[in-house]
Amino acid sequence: MRINVTFWSYFRDHAGCSETVVELETGATLAKLHEIVCEQFPKLAGARNSALKAVGMEYESDDFVLSDGDDVSFFPPVQGG
Amino acid sequence: MKTELTITTDPIDEPALAKRRAMGDGMGAVVCFLGVVRGSEGDKTITAIEYEAFEPMARHQFGLLFDALGQRLPVESVRLVHRIGVVPVNEPSLWVEVIAPHRAEAFDACQFLIDGMKQKVPIWKKPLPV
Repeated sequence: MRINVTFWSYFRDHAGCSETVVELETGATLAKLHEIVCEQFPKLAGARNSALKAVGMEYESDDFVLSDGDDVSFFPPVQGG
Repeated sequence: MKTELTITTDPIDEPALAKRRAMGDGMGAVVCFLGVVRGSEGDKTITAIEYEAFEPMARHQFGLLFDALGQRLPVESVRLVHRIGVVPVNEPSLWVEVIAPHRAEAFDACQFLIDGMKQKVPIWKKPLPV
């Protein structure tokens, strides 16, 4: 399945791009996607523990099971205000 | 509870916002909060902060916060403006207005919204050096 990945804030700088597509096996979790993303974009691995993850517009945990075509965002802690 | 959310690159126009204030006869408290860009970030002097939002998700998360607030406190209305893009030092990036029957609820609600925003709403800042 194909997952659309978007990076926000300085994660975009670390990745060197704002979007990418990741191929995953059916039933893969958000944790697996995060692992692959950190392998593909090693500069993101340093912020692995502080990264926030959203599927669509909702925050999801590592055990969330992804579906083909999901839009996943990775970003650092938010700083509004 | 009435809610109004604005995410904009325009400067926050406090007088215009105040002019549009509407409150019921039973309301006794209006709390307004302004978040203003400081001239330093850590030990560095800056000229501005550039705010970036994942806007659809930011709107959604603000909506969830407003829903949670409505269930928690007797608030008549909330208006919230977050400026994004480049916001110069001394200019506001955030304006929040809460109208409630009493000051305790109004202050609590304002604090609740800002605390929630800083945990959940996907907006980030990038300080711009001198």
